[in-house]
Amino acid sequence: MTRTLLKSAVAAVALLVAMPATAQDLTIGLRAGPDSIDPHWSTLGSQAEALRHVYDTVVDVDETLQLKPGLALSWDAVDDTTWEFKLREGVTFHDGTPFTAEDVKFSIERIPEVTGPMSMTLYTKFVDSVEVVDDYTLRVKTKGKAPSLPNDFTRLFVVPSETGMEARNEEFNSGEKAIGTGPYKFVSWQPKGDMVLERFDDYWGDKPAWETVTRKEIPDDAARVAALKSGQVDLINYVPATDYLSMKNDSDLETFVADSIYILNIAPNVKDEEPQPITLNGEPVDGNPLQDLRVRKALDLAINRDVLVNIVLEGLGTPANQLMPEGFFGYSDALGVRPYDIEQAKALLAEAGYPDGFEIDFTCTNNRVPGDAVVCEALAQMWSRLGLKVNAQALNGTVFFPAAAREEYTMTMSAWGTLTGEAAYTYGALVHTKDAEKGFGNFNRTGYSNAEFDTVFGEGTQTLDADAREKLYEDASVIAMEDRALIPTVILQSVWASKAGTLDFAPRTDQETRAYEITPE
Amino acid sequence: MFGFLAQRLFQAIIVVFAMSIIVFVGVYAIGNPIDVLIDPGATAEIRDNLIRQYGLDQPLWRQYLTFLGNVAQGDLGKSMVYNISVVDLVFSRLPATLELVLVSVVIATVIGIPAGLYAGYRPNGIAAKAIMALSVLGFSVPTFWIGMLLIMLFAVNLGWLPSGGRGEVGTIFGIPTSLATANGWSHVIMPAINLSLFKMGLLIRLSRAGMVEAMNTDYVKFARAQGLPDGQIVFRHILRNISIPIVTVFGLELGSTLAFAVVTESVFTWPGVGKLIIDSILQLDRPVMVSYLIMVVILFVQINLSVDIVYARLDPRVRLKGGK
Repeated sequence: MTRTLLKSAVAAVALLVAMPATAQDLTIGLRAGPDSIDPHWSTLGSQAEALRHVYDTVVDVDETLQLKPGLALSWDAVDDTTWEFKLREGVTFHDGTPFTAEDVKFSIERIPEVTGPMSMTLYTKFVDSVEVVDDYTLRVKTKGKAPSLPNDFTRLFVVPSETGMEARNEEFNSGEKAIGTGPYKFVSWQPKGDMVLERFDDYWGDKPAWETVTRKEIPDDAARVAALKSGQVDLINYVPATDYLSMKNDSDLETFVADSIYILNIAPNVKDEEPQPITLNGEPVDGNPLQDLRVRKALDLAINRDVLVNIVLEGLGTPANQLMPEGFFGYSDALGVRPYDIEQAKALLAEAGYPDGFEIDFTCTNNRVPGDAVVCEALAQMWSRLGLKVNAQALNGTVFFPAAAREEYTMTMSAWGTLTGEAAYTYGALVHTKDAEKGFGNFNRTGYSNAEFDTVFGEGTQTLDADAREKLYEDASVIAMEDRALIPTVILQSVWASKAGTLDFAPRTDQETRAYEITPE
Repeated sequence: MFGFLAQRLFQAIIVVFAMSIIVFVGVYAIGNPIDVLIDPGATAEIRDNLIRQYGLDQPLWRQYLTFLGNVAQGDLGKSMVYNISVVDLVFSRLPATLELVLVSVVIATVIGIPAGLYAGYRPNGIAAKAIMALSVLGFSVPTFWIGMLLIMLFAVNLGWLPSGGRGEVGTIFGIPTSLATANGWSHVIMPAINLSLFKMGLLIRLSRAGMVEAMNTDYVKFARAQGLPDGQIVFRHILRNISIPIVTVFGLELGSTLAFAVVTESVFTWPGVGKLIIDSILQLDRPVMVSYLIMVVILFVQINLSVDIVYARLDPRVRLKGGK
């Protein structure tokens, strides 16, 4: 009797669970979600990814982060300090109000009023004033020449001007003010919980395939994989490297792999006095060996990138030869594959006056991107074959970043992503001489300063003509890489997985999972 | 009784103070939250503005006094990451954790104590040996691993239960809880069992040890000699005598389960407060850390208080007195 009861209870539960979702519904399991529904709150990548469904940006980006029309159809530099944006006509917000240039102006002006610690003023820092010419023409006056303004506007989400300056995160989270022009209407969201979206039928672009989309936040890797295998979600992102091979070989599942924007870079400190002393037999060596280009080259030559990719990362990576992946604005074709040559590396080290090597501290992150800790350890072993004694330490980002900002490390490795798809973002922050006045070198923690690089790159940032600017950035790439200002190691790859034969999409370099770019198979 | 309560309240306030100072000094020692949060592309100007805006340029004692001033006005502050009131934020997640812990504690008690009593009553039987073996597994095998196994078996292979998340939420007496719906139960049962295993193991061992000891005492022998039925001896006489250590451990475990359900929550994607707190620590979201810890301290104090009151009910020799 009890057994039958138990059986029927289990059957009832099973029925409830197995209720089939209709083909029109898509449930995605994601590692991270938004921090708010206010699109002007934070620059966080997972925030932009989620809110893109509800709000459109002025400029959009394709799978490899190159610019394409969004709410603006075209943009031109009218003179040295003015950009003119021609806006799309016939676009309406989810509440039915038509979209005009006033809304863009309002959105730009709203950012400094409401943005949080991950400040979006980053994207409006070049904006001096905004002028509405007519309903579909907008002119932006910039502080000095600003060739990268359209790139900055790829994260400029537009809300209706009726929103009002007083609205804050609460009004957006409740849905009251969560009104955009995007392909999906906002239904509900809770911090760290599910975000539910409903198709917007008057969307200006292609009609998305899915009627409702649920974005479930499942931060735990194993739990995300289990959710896919048990059929709770249709698609997951950030498949962990440890599960990748078995999932690839599982005929029930399908995996999608793409290069990401994230590259693990080694940053050697080249100041006159290194923060953590470099020693030989317990005695500090004279000067900073890392200042010698031959030493930096030796470190580079001793890295076997094929081993890093194929063995350490189990195939989920691509050898990197510069700070950006191929196809990005400023990527130089002139730079070849980085060779692995331990003999030449040893010779260079001896030539620089360190035939017996030295002892050096090497600090990395251990939780920011997949594989950072294992690559860190592998590098230490590769350098020990060069005769160095490397004290590798992989730290939590919470400890690493504040200490790195205080410039307490002699040599570090961390991931950097060229979020905007063009060189100015990366070079301006990492490689240019630290210069608070110009706003360059904020993340240049190595003390690296190269006048030639600064000139070429600086000229690029002041060149409005796109082709000429691209050429200058490519030259800057060559200078920085030949000089080993930073040593790129591997481009990380990201993996998505779904049940086999259920859906199709082109994985994106920026790792975004856009429901409206996914189609049922 | 009144003196006792007043003393407990006073202790709680001291603990809350001490804890908030520890969090402030701790976060200050790690570094500036802005450096963890800020976007890599931000200029030095943006960074400096933010530091000023959040008052992080002030000396630590002034930051702390500002915080105390706000708390005195009933304002625990806003999360730096979410920009919503930390009280709202924590309370939006706390009910899920509470219901999970409640179900798991009930499972642990209802199964653990009778099983332990039985194992102590017939310590040489096969059933007793099996119960003891299971209890060892219960608290020696890591929670997350058992959790993954449960998911693999019941969600992935058999497909009986969902692999994670909280189910449909209904209301019981006006409180929104997933325990009101069948779908909700199907979601809560697996994580609750997972979370209960450690406590169950502990309760089994405690009640068994108490039982074995009590079985040899004079009062049990007398009761037997008197011809009382075994059921009456066990439940009326022995259980009452061995329940003091059980209640103590139960109280301690209840508190720690509430505060540290995070492992089970993340394996089962349970939308509880644990993950929120871990993230707020990683992002140095100080307002959330401080207010959550304050709530945990209050919770612990309450649990200890209840335990003391239960002691007095169980053992007439215990009196609740203020001071020593």
